[in-house]
Amino acid sequence: MFSRISRSFYRTSAWRLALRSTLVFAAGSAAVFLVMYIVVARTVQERSDSWLIGESETLKQVALNTPRDALYDRIVEEVAELASQEVSYDATGHHVVGNTVFFAQTEGRAKAPVWVGPPDSQKFLDAIRSRRISQGAPVSIRVPGWKAPFRVVAADMAPGAGHIYLGLLDSAAAALMRRLLLRFVLGWMCMVAFGFFITLMGLRRMLRRVDAITGAAAAIRSDDLSTRVPVENQRDEVARLARTFNNMLDRISSTVNQLRTLTDSMAHDLKSPITTVRGNLEIALSLDDRNQSADLVAGAIEQLDRLSEVITTSLDVAEADGGALRLRIASLDLGDLVGRVTGLYAPAFTENQQRLSVVVPGPVPVRMDVSLCNRMLSNLMENELRYAGSGSQVSVTVSTAGDRACITVEDDGAGFPADLLMPAATGDGANGASPPRVFQRFVKGSHSQGHGLGLAFVNAVAVAHGGRAIARNGDPGRPPRRGAQIVIELPLAPRVSDEENCDVQLTAP
Amino acid sequence: MKQSMPLRRIGDAAAASPAGGAGQGALKLPRVDGIGEGRTEMRLLVVEDDSTIREFLTRALAESGFGVDASSLGSQAEKMALEGVHDALIVDLTLPDMDGLELIQRLRAQGVGSPVLILSARRSVDERVLGLERGGDDYMTKPFAVAELLARVRALLRRSTPTQSEATRLRVADLEIDLIRREARRSGTEIQLTQQEFALLEYLCRNAGRVVTRAMVLDHVWKMRIDTSTNIVDVHIHRLRNKVDRDSQQPLIRTIRGVGYVLKD
Repeated sequence: MFSRISRSFYRTSAWRLALRSTLVFAAGSAAVFLVMYIVVARTVQERSDSWLIGESETLKQVALNTPRDALYDRIVEEVAELASQEVSYDATGHHVVGNTVFFAQTEGRAKAPVWVGPPDSQKFLDAIRSRRISQGAPVSIRVPGWKAPFRVVAADMAPGAGHIYLGLLDSAAAALMRRLLLRFVLGWMCMVAFGFFITLMGLRRMLRRVDAITGAAAAIRSDDLSTRVPVENQRDEVARLARTFNNMLDRISSTVNQLRTLTDSMAHDLKSPITTVRGNLEIALSLDDRNQSADLVAGAIEQLDRLSEVITTSLDVAEADGGALRLRIASLDLGDLVGRVTGLYAPAFTENQQRLSVVVPGPVPVRMDVSLCNRMLSNLMENELRYAGSGSQVSVTVSTAGDRACITVEDDGAGFPADLLMPAATGDGANGASPPRVFQRFVKGSHSQGHGLGLAFVNAVAVAHGGRAIARNGDPGRPPRRGAQIVIELPLAPRVSDEENCDVQLTAP
Repeated sequence: MKQSMPLRRIGDAAAASPAGGAGQGALKLPRVDGIGEGRTEMRLLVVEDDSTIREFLTRALAESGFGVDASSLGSQAEKMALEGVHDALIVDLTLPDMDGLELIQRLRAQGVGSPVLILSARRSVDERVLGLERGGDDYMTKPFAVAELLARVRALLRRSTPTQSEATRLRVADLEIDLIRREARRSGTEIQLTQQEFALLEYLCRNAGRVVTRAMVLDHVWKMRIDTSTNIVDVHIHRLRNKVDRDSQQPLIRTIRGVGYVLKD
């Protein structure tokens, strides 16, 4: 599964990220070490410089205070010798090999300088003369034949009386600095290597989990959506990615299943009317009687109209469920709209031996798509016409409650079959309770002649306008409300004073 | 894929049409009347790439007495429309070489002022189409009833030739309605009608002799563009017919099954 990763390991982002972070880390730590090294080196040098300055002052005093007799050179040499031995032993009294001190006193060209130090004095004197050394400010001077530079300080005697030079090669300090540098470099390299390794391992582990998700995604085919990514108990980003990915797969597979059911039922719902239309037309062709064949053709046209309506509505419902319904929102009076639609349907109720009563409190301002709202109301009316039963009492009530407008349609008929009021099993459950099955596409009662789209459309329109639809059966013990009851809740348009209260309890079934 | 549909010109349509025999066929479509008097015929341009729809449109319009030119290509249609001989255009939105709306915009930019009826297979009508409609034109979504198409074309033509003054009285056979006093009389006897019934009768009278569909009735009388699967309009017609035709030997309101209704003597 990870063959692709191991084959081109140097192309993985684990490798790239580890390399990049290690480079940054290495540069940073090298800079810190460098600064530390410089600080230490400076401190060490300052220590030896202060010794040099102090000692050169002492020697200057000695040289000035010693009477210039035959013993002058000898005394100065002795004192310088003593001073040089001071740095040849460390604090515990061990002899430090390699520490070298030289002392020179020059007095013009005429006199040979007083010299205490290594035998090849001329090289030193040449080196000193080649540089301008001022009093109390030590400088580093390279002497041919010596590996490390000497720190040299000058002390001026009286004007024209010459200079005293004191030089020190602190090889102990130099060795210390070398050791320090070596350890710094070694430690730095270990740190960098270790850091690189840890980062690489950590990243590889994490990215392997990402790759597991890639593998799962690659394994998904349109006919098999069952693959899921293993989810660890961690709470980090990758675990979240895995969970999100699995959730997405759940949603997709639920949608695909819905779609499959939808296409199946659509195919079924379309095939039978197409068969009827075809049959009618075939018979019409073979008939000689014009009136009879015209009848059949007219029947076929009516069937086709119904088919086209099924297609339009099911696409509308699908679009609304997917949140893609395009609304042309306008301010309108819901009461007026309900009045008009019920006015249109009132004769049909009478014809059907049903009684229709409409209660509209007055203007109920809402913001809706007029055409969708009309279709929603007409679907509600047609639902009652079809299923409330002959002789039933149908009542439509518009009311307001808080910031909501309610349309309540109820009858005293047989009510919804119990199985239609069950929550939809395949609902995604995103908003808690899923709507009852009666609001699902292509779900219909066993003796329904409809296509199972009417109430699905009602629900879709309500939801698209920020409302909801509730379906339930009335309490059998409380006539006249014992039949089916559908409540549509819609948000009221703002700036409305509402005294009216919704006369039904708006609790979800 | 491009169909090479030759330019088709149908003159003297009703006579040339194979099913043109008058009195035949239950779906005999009424001829254009009252419009374009003084001219031989109204001429329409149909732009539609689907050959079956184009042919049936051409035939239906020709049978109703229109002269019809047809084209399947936007570019070809543009040239034809620029001749300036068409009284109205019927344009499908999806053309192989350009968008139908683009065609209309180009024609408008070049000074073609004839009204346009847009045909669309899209269910939810495009905002742009509505914008266009507000500019005086109209749209229809497929599938549509031929009767409705004809009614819309006539309405467009009427709008573009505003000559007739609004009548205050309408008369069909012995039925007479007074639009100001909102009264209807049959053979001199007043018929008691509700407001809804009167509006319905008025609409039928205004379209006397022409078929109106249920959707047209709902649209014009109740101002609702809805499809109904129930017989809701039939119920209203039935009640109206009971009042208008009950005491008369000659029924005026007739049902054309599968299509709609017609009021004629």
